[in-house]
Amino acid sequence: MRRRLRAPALLGLILALALVAAACGGDDEDGGAATTAPVATTGGEFSMSICEPESLIPQINAETCGSQVLKGLFTPLIQFDPETDELIYAVAESITSDDQTTWTVTLRDGWTFHDGTPVTAQSFVDAWNWGAFGPNGAGNNYFFGPYGVNIVGYDALNPSEGKPDAKELSGLTVVDDRTFTVELGAPFSEFPITVGYNAFYPLPPSFFEDSDAFNEAPVGNGPYMIDGSWQHDQQISVVRYEDYAGTPGNADAITFRIYADLDTAYRDTQAGGLDIADVPSEQIESGRAEFGDRFIESPSSSFSYIGFPLWAEPFDNPDIRKAMSMAIDRQAVITAIFFDTLTPADDMASPVVQGYREGACGEACTYDPEAAKELFDSAGGIDGELTIWFNNDGGHEQWIEAVANQWAQNLDIEFRFESMPFAKYLGLLDEGLDNELGDTDGVNGPFRLGWVMDYPSMQNYLENLHGTQAGSNYTTYSNPEFDDLIAQGKRATDLDQAVSLYQQADDLVIQDLPIIPLWFGLNQSVTSENVSNVIIDKFSFVDIARVEVVGGGA
Amino acid sequence: MGRYIARRLLQAIPVFFGATFIVFAMVYAIPGDPIRALNGERPISDSAMQQLHERYNLDDPLLVQYGKYIWGIVHGDFGKTFRGYPVIDIMKEKFPVTFRLALGAFVFEGIVGLFAGILAGLKRGSFMDNLLLISTMFIAAIPVFVLGFLAQIMLGIQFRIFPIAGIYNGWISYVLPSIVLGSLSLVYIARLTRTSLVENMRSDYIRTAEAKGLPRSRVVGRHALRNSLIPVVTYLGVDLGTLMVGAIITEGIFNIPGVGREIFLAIRGQEGAVVVGIVTAGIMIFIVMNLFVDLLYAVLDPRIRYE
Amino acid sequence: MSDTQRPGGSSDLLEPDEEARPEDAIAAGGPGGVIAEGAIAATAAVEGGASVYQASLWGDAWRQLRRKPLFIISSVLLLLFTVVAIAPGLFTNQDPTFQDLSKTVQAPQAGHPFGYDILGRDYFARVLYGTRVSLVIGLLVVAIDVVVAIVLGSIAGYYGRFWDALIARIADIWFALPTVLAGIVFLNVMGERGLLQVAFVLIFLGWPTLMRLMRSSVLSGRESDYVQAAKALGASDWRIMRVHILPNGIAPVIVYATISVGIIISAEAALSFLGVGLELPAISWGLMISDAQNRILTSPHLLFFPGAALSLLVLCFIILGDALRDALDPRLR
Repeated sequence: MRRRLRAPALLGLILALALVAAACGGDDEDGGAATTAPVATTGGEFSMSICEPESLIPQINAETCGSQVLKGLFTPLIQFDPETDELIYAVAESITSDDQTTWTVTLRDGWTFHDGTPVTAQSFVDAWNWGAFGPNGAGNNYFFGPYGVNIVGYDALNPSEGKPDAKELSGLTVVDDRTFTVELGAPFSEFPITVGYNAFYPLPPSFFEDSDAFNEAPVGNGPYMIDGSWQHDQQISVVRYEDYAGTPGNADAITFRIYADLDTAYRDTQAGGLDIADVPSEQIESGRAEFGDRFIESPSSSFSYIGFPLWAEPFDNPDIRKAMSMAIDRQAVITAIFFDTLTPADDMASPVVQGYREGACGEACTYDPEAAKELFDSAGGIDGELTIWFNNDGGHEQWIEAVANQWAQNLDIEFRFESMPFAKYLGLLDEGLDNELGDTDGVNGPFRLGWVMDYPSMQNYLENLHGTQAGSNYTTYSNPEFDDLIAQGKRATDLDQAVSLYQQADDLVIQDLPIIPLWFGLNQSVTSENVSNVIIDKFSFVDIARVEVVGGGA
Repeated sequence: MGRYIARRLLQAIPVFFGATFIVFAMVYAIPGDPIRALNGERPISDSAMQQLHERYNLDDPLLVQYGKYIWGIVHGDFGKTFRGYPVIDIMKEKFPVTFRLALGAFVFEGIVGLFAGILAGLKRGSFMDNLLLISTMFIAAIPVFVLGFLAQIMLGIQFRIFPIAGIYNGWISYVLPSIVLGSLSLVYIARLTRTSLVENMRSDYIRTAEAKGLPRSRVVGRHALRNSLIPVVTYLGVDLGTLMVGAIITEGIFNIPGVGREIFLAIRGQEGAVVVGIVTAGIMIFIVMNLFVDLLYAVLDPRIRYE
Repeated sequence: MSDTQRPGGSSDLLEPDEEARPEDAIAAGGPGGVIAEGAIAATAAVEGGASVYQASLWGDAWRQLRRKPLFIISSVLLLLFTVVAIAPGLFTNQDPTFQDLSKTVQAPQAGHPFGYDILGRDYFARVLYGTRVSLVIGLLVVAIDVVVAIVLGSIAGYYGRFWDALIARIADIWFALPTVLAGIVFLNVMGERGLLQVAFVLIFLGWPTLMRLMRSSVLSGRESDYVQAAKALGASDWRIMRVHILPNGIAPVIVYATISVGIIISAEAALSFLGVGLELPAISWGLMISDAQNRILTSPHLLFFPGAALSLLVLCFIILGDALRDALDPRLR
């Protein structure tokens, strides 16, 4: 084990020394093949904490730890500026369409994978086909289908029974090395901003030869390349890719240290053994004091809510739902349990997306225990015990108990919990998806869930959670007017027009309240004195290419 | 003696199958679809579900699954995680880590435990003896997780003596967790040694040796200790195996990427192959350690040899 | 740890004349890490197996115990705990479930000697009410374990041969299993994790050890002279067991059982700490400690009070067990 650690350290040392020598000897950087002007890099190495990734294959990985690493190893068609959220065309030169349905993607020149092979239209098309092919079991498979961007031909690759007839999406066509077209099943004006996600990353030919080996040492096209291979449950080391076609990364090398839990990583940062880590909510107060300006806080897109099983009485009654929402003192929970690291939710979409309106939720999200009790009683209340459902592996115990106690004390009801691991929890929620009023499958009481955006659009929050039969709509809410407004928004060519339509849809959901919006998240991280310029984007990822190592260069 | 060993080996076989089958049954009889879990809150196409179910034999009856699994083990194939990662590779990475941790705990508890126990046993009723009795009681009463946190905070953060997490600093990383892990077995060993020694010191043959005029060091070193240590040694022998599979809490607190933590995460993630694989390996280790200890016992206690 | 593979405790058919040895008492739960991490157990609880007890073992023991200060103190404490468990309302008038988020984690103050917990509930009341859960689980689990152990151990020891082999094999399998892991697997997927479910899992943790102890006692008792005499006189098996073997043979089992209560209480706390113990909104010290782990530096009282209570209760049982063992050992007189 010591041998393995020495290699990256040695490499990093050599690189750092080389840089020092080069820097102190004269000019900062050589010209390279970059299309942008050469930029001085700070050099040096730093470490940050992640949890053990599920996979390092972009089409498979749907969790944040692996995605953080992949962000360094790959560059997609488009990116978002982490500070301004502006859309940046990265590998893509342009993504255009006349009818919002068929899109032409044109790539830039000069992009290569870490093994030297060129990034071409085929690289993207092959990758997307692989992701969409049902039997591959890719976690991001649904992105290509009707619950995602809806590329034509998806169904042929994902039949409900038997093996698929085709291996390629008929809606994808390679025109030449630098161009390919995408045909969608329905107009979607925001298509360009959706393709920044893992599912749409390109893949080199070596992936298709041995995907298992690739998973251990991914070959991407990003500013950093893997150094060695994935040391499971220990770390993943990356070094700067010198032939990167975009802005090179600042640090020479980065170590992603893998931790089983947040607290240990945080303690390690306190003890000086780690450079960047998230802050567990209990440590926020002391962390702010201890780390001073190395305590970083920024808005994240996370959204927590409590859903109602609309098929189970009395939750089909909107007054009951509203009363229960009004009986929750969100701020008190946030202060006591989350140390004010969250903001109470007052809209069905996060403040980080365009279209969010402060206070949109209005009365329904405002704490008023007396009014809540009145409304609750006049609506008939609840017979017997309320069963509250949640997954027991996400650290939700404290706030759920707090909310349950508030319901008990303000609405005078009794409650009990049903908790289970996330897998089983989701399975149970799935069972309720086809329910109609009176059915008893699945959960029979309020359940907690969360959402993090896939791309910065209000539509992502609204359609996925509340669209009829949408992928993450576990309440079974179905409102044709809502669906229509969303579809109109997706067709709209003018962004402001789209947003206004989405807001109308938002109002509908707020009125019906199939879910209780709870709170929006914040990113909180701490850094050591070894690094600076640590920026965390709305997806809660650290922009590792920009992180500067203090004293790394000459 | 050969017959003795052969008999023990034969007895081990039903134990192995019985234990592994129970674990297998428990893990795979769990309700809840693990494939579903892989995708988190996102939907998964039926086609993908079906393929994965087939690949992992999830639709076969339990006994068939078990049979296929054992067949695989015989060929060194412990199956794959649902992400396609071979379980045997996971085990190859984690077991050495836990082994180092267990070894550290073992050395710590063995040396300190024996030393304290002998001191106390030889001077029964003395200050040393009472100190041992009382301190062991306290250590045993405090839950191991409290002990772990206190150690981490006191020695790791406040005084920065030892690293508190991970295994990045070489062997020093194992010091704190080894001490915490071994602390309870330490109590056990110290007491066992003490009691065993006390008992033996009162026995007839020791009295005879003393009466014969043998020097104390000879009496203790050659006679009393040898017999007193038999139960301790047998306990130690098996404890190593026990420590290997059981250090879940310690590994979690100190972020040691070993077998214990792996199993805990696997249970949560319903990665049946990992749980069963590690536990099966653990059972095998355990059985082997038991056999080894039996051998040791035969060596130490001549009565056994002549069967 | 399988002592059936050790000649001293072998259940092998060809070795009927084994003696019980101290190592029989070692078997403290196999590769179940949490339990192995929490057992000092009956270090010498089984000396008695080698010699024949006097008829007034218990009488003598009691007389000796009465004079030991440690025994008295721990018994009184235990009594206190029991009273608290039965009627916590006697000691506090606060409602342990009443939440006032504005009072979150306030330190001990007038009227609230233990302060408040994270949800702003009176901590003193919660620690008191938590006693019930710990004691009930500890006593319930061990009581059932003892009954099972006595029955199975007696059968195995007395009738030997086939029954012994069968029961011993089952115990072996149990030892080889990491029962704590099995417990975690089990509890992880149970829909409801109430007192009974957790107790159910914990019961399986301790029975093999107790069974072995009983078996050893029965084995040596069976061979003793007075039992042979009774048999010769035509006494039935049942009478022999009840009158001759059991009364003295139970001694090591009782000693280990006493300490076991402490172990089980600790184990329940560990399971709750790992998140697979009792479910909310149960009031359990293990859950309280689990909640406290992230606030040790900022609000140490959250860890201290339930931790101290837990340690104290376990300590009582350990001291009790120790004292019992000393009192029951004829050789120490």
